[in-house]
Amino acid sequence: MKAISRSRAFARIFLGPAFGIALLAVPAHAQKPGGSITVGLELDIPGFDPLKVGVFDTAALTAAAALFDTLTYLDDKGLAQPKLALSWSHSDDFKTWTFKLRPGVKFHDGTPFNAEAAKANFDRQKDPANKCRCAFYIAGIRDVQAPDELTLVYNLNDPSVNLPAILTMPSSNFAIQSPAAWKAKGDEYNRNPVGTGPYILKSWTAGDRLVLEKNPDYWNKGKPYLDRIVLKPLPDAQSRFASLQSGEADIIWDDEYDPDNIQKAQKDPKMTLHTYVGSGAQVYAFNTKVAPFDDVRVRRALVMAIDRKKMSQAITNGLSRPASNPYGDGSWVKCKDDGALPTDAEKAKALIKEYGKPVEFKMIVTATARGRNVGQVMQQFWKQVGANMEIEQIDQATVVPRAFMRQFQLTPWRIVDLPDPDPQMYANFHTGSPVALANYSNPELDSLLEHARTTADQEKRVEDYCAISRHINQQAIWFWTFQNTYYAISSAKLKGLPKMYSGVVDVSNVWME
Amino acid sequence: MLGFVARRLFYLVPVLIAVSLLTFLIASLLPGDLAYVILGDQATPEKVEALRHDMGLDQPIWWRYLSWLGQVVQGDFGRSFRTGQTVWQAVAERLPVSLELMLLAEIAGLAIGVPVAIACAVRSGGAFDRFMTGSAFGMLSVPTFLSAILLIYLFAVELRWLPATGYVPFEEDPAGNLRFFVLPALTLALAEWPGIMRVLRSDMIATLQEDYIALAKAKGLKASRILFVHALKPSSLTLITITGINIGRLIGGAVIVETIFALPGLGRLLVGAIYTRDLIILQGVVLFVAGGFVLMNFIVDMLYAVLDPRIRHGHA
Repeated sequence: MKAISRSRAFARIFLGPAFGIALLAVPAHAQKPGGSITVGLELDIPGFDPLKVGVFDTAALTAAAALFDTLTYLDDKGLAQPKLALSWSHSDDFKTWTFKLRPGVKFHDGTPFNAEAAKANFDRQKDPANKCRCAFYIAGIRDVQAPDELTLVYNLNDPSVNLPAILTMPSSNFAIQSPAAWKAKGDEYNRNPVGTGPYILKSWTAGDRLVLEKNPDYWNKGKPYLDRIVLKPLPDAQSRFASLQSGEADIIWDDEYDPDNIQKAQKDPKMTLHTYVGSGAQVYAFNTKVAPFDDVRVRRALVMAIDRKKMSQAITNGLSRPASNPYGDGSWVKCKDDGALPTDAEKAKALIKEYGKPVEFKMIVTATARGRNVGQVMQQFWKQVGANMEIEQIDQATVVPRAFMRQFQLTPWRIVDLPDPDPQMYANFHTGSPVALANYSNPELDSLLEHARTTADQEKRVEDYCAISRHINQQAIWFWTFQNTYYAISSAKLKGLPKMYSGVVDVSNVWME
Repeated sequence: MLGFVARRLFYLVPVLIAVSLLTFLIASLLPGDLAYVILGDQATPEKVEALRHDMGLDQPIWWRYLSWLGQVVQGDFGRSFRTGQTVWQAVAERLPVSLELMLLAEIAGLAIGVPVAIACAVRSGGAFDRFMTGSAFGMLSVPTFLSAILLIYLFAVELRWLPATGYVPFEEDPAGNLRFFVLPALTLALAEWPGIMRVLRSDMIATLQEDYIALAKAKGLKASRILFVHALKPSSLTLITITGINIGRLIGGAVIVETIFALPGLGRLLVGAIYTRDLIILQGVVLFVAGGFVLMNFIVDMLYAVLDPRIRHGHA
């Protein structure tokens, strides 16, 4: 993470002599216990019961990271580390994973955390009778067994070499909740969640604030540092930033569609801009079964016509980082050659000419200001090389079914920031998958995807994934515009914010200087 | 008088039914089927069908409307599919915030508009009148989202006098509560007072030309007494209408203002329900707001009757 801490530089230059003595007395990174912070989020949190809310959005994830624990957490090198699980091992085929659990952990309601409780979380989501939207994301896990109090066994349908990393996200699937509490509270549980996490839900006023208080019996002694965290939905970007400026919020969520404030924060010595460039990207899929995209020349021409730098300037003041592959800076997959096509309008023009027929097509964009903006920029690029794109605005929720039914020529999609590329790459590109949107099938690509998911050696997996990227880029069946970049802005006094994996602003271990 | 009230109340029923029917239709026409929203990126055609069936979405629309209406008549407005809250719970939590906002905004609007209108009417065509009429016209054209942000930057970020966003319940901290409401109420009032001022000013100018005002002046009554007692009451019929209609406009304004100032009111609930296709909450809140609006107009009608006996006796 690039935490641009201008305040520290500022302090060194201007206040150095005065504070030098004080700094000697207190180590530079002393974690100071006590105090409270207010976090400005974008959305109202609907609740925490997976059966009710399905998946947690960015706001709910911030709360979930404080209320609940996961079996593992991701350190700042991107490796899985013990949390509620102490250690783990796997079978040779990577289809069975066994976790040894931390003893003596209790939920906030006093009931014990053990293998049975963890299994109950999984079973409840997996049960077809419960029809949980969340079940989709654990479809690859066949079942979970609890052979004894502190042993948990995951049996998978497909091999997963990186399961402990995948379990790190405090999502509705992997945040462990108290079975006793959801059974006792029924419908009310959604807004009265109980976990093992460092904070306990104190009060919740819908639409206004969610107050979390330090869990005095937290298993990780010495943590957390803050006594209290207040989470507030501040839906308007301008007033959210103003609340940070006026001191009503100590940290706020933001995104690159608010570039003015992000750039303002970068220059303000009283603020810290937290940035994390994750894996994945904003992506688009061609339907290769319909004209004109059944011809690789047309697909390549359109990809080469896009000038990502100019586009970034047009839509986010230049904040968006161009992507040349689906992995991104946040991924451990680094390619010497990812096979990206160059930006070359002349070559694109020539290819379109070579194709001979007029290139006219419709592109789906989401009916939002952002969607329209992106669509119009692409329309201009393509017009310049002789291709006519018509923008078709549709509701965000309708994009998904249209994609599933392959009722599109060109559609936006997303590859989100996950610790391992396998789940999404396999789903997006392997023959026969419901989200292999390009309708493209290639035995070589399939075998690379299969090899990558069953190989433990990370270097070999990197080779596989780079070969996959080269194949997709050269065939231009999908293309990527920008990397997933996540933002939070805080007061310069707030310290200890970890990398924002998957865009989660995890404030559960921060402190105020 | 009682017959008059009963007649008016009776008219409310068809209005509310029409409103609920319209809301139901519009909500059904929103693009993006609820099933797709719930299923997200696992919305395969089979799963969508199954879910639509479970939720009764595959029933004809008139049937869905009637069954919803049937429950509403019995006082059951349903539960949010997303949060599990009942509509009653959700509205009860949010209503006090919106009511307080509207009340304060209306008071502030009147507090600015009425004195300015009177001052303008007294010397109509004078420098003050021309200046204020011009400013009112200017203020009318400033959208609330702009004035809200300007007020925040001035009073919260630059001067630090007032909070930019947030809320605290009145019973917890009355003074704090009012502090949080100053900027949102002022934002709405800035859009309200020009209308109030213009209407009252022109009515007042007309009234001041009536013979009985001249008579009152001739009798040597004090100017303030003439203005506030003899002229204001007969000039305020249109003002009351405007105030009533304003309540409806304020609900619309509250949607924006509550979002910007992060007030947990009905407007925010409504916006959230639209984005998440939470139709049960959406229909419940709209019905509630419409009911409130209709009731407000009913009260305005009653006030007419009180102010002007000719209306009460049916020969206006």
